[in-house]
Amino acid sequence: MRLTKLRKAGVLAALLTGSALAVPAGAAGTIDVAIIGEADTFDPMVSTKDVVSIVTQHFVETLYTFDSGWNIAPLLATALPEISEDGLTYTIGIREGVSFHDGSSMDAKDVVASLKRWLEVASRGKLVADKVASVEATGDYEVTITMKEAYSPLLSLLAFSNSAAAIYPEEIIAETIENVVGTGPYMIAEHVPDQYLQLVKFDDYVSRDEPSDGAAGARQQTVDEIRFVPVPDPNTRVEGLLSGQFAFADSLPAESYQRLEESDVADPMLLKPFGWPIFAINHKDGLLTDKAIRLALQAALPIDDMLFAAFGDDNFFLTDGPLYPEGWAWRNEAGTELFNQNDQAKAAEMLKEAGYDGTPLRILTSRQYEFHFKMAEVAKMALEAAGFTVQMDVVDWATLGQRRNDPALWDIYITHSPFLPEPALTSLYDKTSRLGWSNPEKDQILTDFTTETDMEKRKALFADLQAQVFEDVGFIKIGAFNALSGTQAGLEGVTATPWPFFWNVALPE
Amino acid sequence: MTRYVLKRLVGMLVVIFLVLTIAFVIVRLAPGDPAALMLGPEATPEEAAELRTQLGLDRPIAVQYFAFVSRAVQGDLGTSLFFRQPVTEVLAGRAEPTIFLSLFSLLFALIIATPIGIYAAYRRGSFLDQAAITTAMLAASVPSFWTGLMFQRYLATDLGWFPASGYGGPDASFLDRMGYLILPSIVLGIVNSALILRFTRASMLDILGEDYVRTARSKGMGEARVVLRHALKNAAIPIITVVGLTFALLVSGAVVTERVFNIPGMGNLVVSAVLRRDYPVIQGTLIVVATVYVLINLITDLLYLLVDKRVKY
Amino acid sequence: MAATASAGSEPTFWALLLSRRAVLVALLVFVVIVALCVLAPLVAPADPAKMSVRARLTAPGADYLLGADAFGRDVFSRLLYAGRVSLTIGLGVAALSSVAGIAIGLLAGFFRRLDAPMSRLVDAMMAFPDILLAIALVSILGGSIVNVIIALSIVYTPRIARIVRASTLVIRELPYVEAAVALGSSTVTIMFTHVLRNILSPIIVQATFIFAYAMLAEAGLSFLGVGIDPSTPSWGTMINEGRQYLDQAAFLIVFPGLAISISVLALQLIGDGFRDAMDPRLAKDL
Repeated sequence: MRLTKLRKAGVLAALLTGSALAVPAGAAGTIDVAIIGEADTFDPMVSTKDVVSIVTQHFVETLYTFDSGWNIAPLLATALPEISEDGLTYTIGIREGVSFHDGSSMDAKDVVASLKRWLEVASRGKLVADKVASVEATGDYEVTITMKEAYSPLLSLLAFSNSAAAIYPEEIIAETIENVVGTGPYMIAEHVPDQYLQLVKFDDYVSRDEPSDGAAGARQQTVDEIRFVPVPDPNTRVEGLLSGQFAFADSLPAESYQRLEESDVADPMLLKPFGWPIFAINHKDGLLTDKAIRLALQAALPIDDMLFAAFGDDNFFLTDGPLYPEGWAWRNEAGTELFNQNDQAKAAEMLKEAGYDGTPLRILTSRQYEFHFKMAEVAKMALEAAGFTVQMDVVDWATLGQRRNDPALWDIYITHSPFLPEPALTSLYDKTSRLGWSNPEKDQILTDFTTETDMEKRKALFADLQAQVFEDVGFIKIGAFNALSGTQAGLEGVTATPWPFFWNVALPE
Repeated sequence: MTRYVLKRLVGMLVVIFLVLTIAFVIVRLAPGDPAALMLGPEATPEEAAELRTQLGLDRPIAVQYFAFVSRAVQGDLGTSLFFRQPVTEVLAGRAEPTIFLSLFSLLFALIIATPIGIYAAYRRGSFLDQAAITTAMLAASVPSFWTGLMFQRYLATDLGWFPASGYGGPDASFLDRMGYLILPSIVLGIVNSALILRFTRASMLDILGEDYVRTARSKGMGEARVVLRHALKNAAIPIITVVGLTFALLVSGAVVTERVFNIPGMGNLVVSAVLRRDYPVIQGTLIVVATVYVLINLITDLLYLLVDKRVKY
Repeated sequence: MAATASAGSEPTFWALLLSRRAVLVALLVFVVIVALCVLAPLVAPADPAKMSVRARLTAPGADYLLGADAFGRDVFSRLLYAGRVSLTIGLGVAALSSVAGIAIGLLAGFFRRLDAPMSRLVDAMMAFPDILLAIALVSILGGSIVNVIIALSIVYTPRIARIVRASTLVIRELPYVEAAVALGSSTVTIMFTHVLRNILSPIIVQATFIFAYAMLAEAGLSFLGVGIDPSTPSWGTMINEGRQYLDQAAFLIVFPGLAISISVLALQLIGDGFRDAMDPRLAKDL
């Protein structure tokens, strides 16, 4: 009984003080960031989730990183490596005087131990592992990587924050790392799952001297504290941002653009272009192992309508065929005449010729990302018009993650990817991926592409690879889309990137 | 009486065991691979299989069940696959917002609905009666997430009267945190007050139509006394029933409301856990919530005993 | 169900029922809604699945009576077809859970020996938070309409059962029921003539709510991302899709929202009407 009274008193007190609490209290120099979900691990080596990359890059660093033009730049390494003529030996200088959060200082032994773990446990590291002959400390602050064969994407992999080649103190290296210790400008102070992750300034951080450029160069600890708040519902992120709760909110619905623009509290931030939606095709089993049917599928898709239904506003998508956007080194037009044919009559003929027997085409998708579902709905309509029997399997993201690993369960699953600085960073082209896309010509091009070190030759090879994507229908790129995030009005120094970071960011006065 | 209470306590244990079993079966039959989910989109099937082995997800289901039950009996609800932290710890961290959200909204609903319901029945057909039922009906006719989204949008974002979402940061005091619950409590309370109001009114009407109330009236007893003395006392049973039921509704209503307002309570946890295929967390939540329900049911039945002497056990 | 139970006093019952203008209006509105949905293939101006992506979010007007959705599909036509799904779910759940709830509640309330096991069963079912149980069941069974009905019926059955049991416990002890037992009436007769008739009104009130809740719960499941197959239009899936366009096309959430709310309101008024119309009889019987 007494408890009840106490609780009643609590309610009353809360009701009375309600309006006073509307403005959230926060320490000075604190930045609150709404992210799309909880990071399930703080070890970026073992995860390819973007949310893990976004969070961990603040406390864990890599040898290299990318500048704003996606060029590779040194971070914990002193400079770009010396690469031998044959492309087999990488000599990497390590910065002196860099401290880990546990107080120990970084040297070549830590780097070697970390890279070895990366080759063993990281999904991207494992891709390279069989090409690496050795990783050795060749001095207190020098590491040498020796390759069995030339592998041009190596530096990009070392620079990537996703399945990252993170540098940890040798002492904490283990199969699973519970308490992550890094060298980053911020360190973990407190983590309350699903509520917040509190990062505070690392006092012994030694920044690089070069001017800041993207993630490269100087990293200034302009705010004292960064708090990542997981907010899974996109609308809730919008409302939180507009009510002044967050200084930054990631991944907002295109529909909220207008409101953000009209608001005095927040500003929209458009990342243009962000990435590309993908219809991943099952080459291992089922209907789409038949190339003729794949070509019919490609012919039928109304890419423009799919994007329009999915994003609604020409500001948010581009019906663009090439695998890389305008302005990128990898841009080329090879094979793109097969993009966005939107010709259901032609597709119907192709189906007839292929002897299609009405076997359902199974599209596996989820509503975790609403645009995936919308694209699938429009695609279904067009495919049915072309004579396909379409079966939509709309499942939750977890189920999709499981089902797509079983080739017997799907023909197409829908996903998306940011535009990555190096084509080999995605496994879509690889015959070992879950798509299982393989033909002798393509496989040869891919091998040549990853062993070639000359950029001009690599560009030509990539054009051949792109032509293969269309001619053999390896997977289907559904144009390009932009991503919307939002910042508190007056927030300065935020770089538009798929993996936003908050060093160098200044709060308005 | 003591025997009855003891009997109910044994029954309670049976129910919890039943719930435990059902929860285990339901959760394990659901599709979705926690390992693939934990590894992220680029992980290979081989990596997922490796993690499944590591987590013991590939053992026979009977073995998993037996291990689960014997540990649960000792108060060990397992380790969250997602957080890699004991489920009891994860749940303890989520209890506060859900408990207070439920209490505040129940209180809000009771304070608003019970007096209006009684008065509406007493003044049956009056303008107030009509207005009360209509409002209650309207409130019960709108999906609660819709109300939540509207309130959040207009009262919190635009007018700034309440925080739009969340539960405060590291330096939020208890009162600060409770402040975050006011708007969600109102949203949740509105839907439930509609139910309580209607039920209170319906029960009162039943009672007011009964012979002994008429007799009391005919004996010249004042209307207010009739209502308070006879009718209210007899209406207590259905009202207690509905409060018991509403508490159940509140906890599950909290699932949607916590989602809208991003409150890190058990409801939000459970939805995330379903999406993350975090089996131990789903089971743990079910067991804890089940225990609370069963306790409430026990209390409700004991209250019957106290207020209505016609019920004999 | 109500009509059968009150067969003996039908004229009075219907006269009373229809004497309240609000109930009459509600009944008319509900009949119209049901008729429109049932006759959707004849009434709908367009194929509900036909997309014209370039016409997306067209405001209500001559081309699209109630506007076009994000795929440029006709909202009015979709509303009618969606109504079939939503009403089926509501009715299915109300019927299934009432039948099951009455059976369980009567058995538990009337037979002392059955009370404990039945009550344990009800307790165990009630111990699950309803939305979660529905999510879990739908995610195992799959998101079809039938599965949503089954899942929600399992969720709502205990609500009826408990009310029936509580009322039965009271009525069982009433002097005239005890008298009937003493006079040798069979248990089944007593259960149906005395108990069931007397507890029908709270059941109808509750079943009405369940009809409403089932439609609302379907919307809630869609909101959480685990309802019926999202490519099947229901009022719930329509609201959930529409909520993304609150700023550009509020009508997308308004019309299905109104459809649910009006149906639910009408149902509640009808339920109330039933209750009030049966009330005098109830008092007389007691």
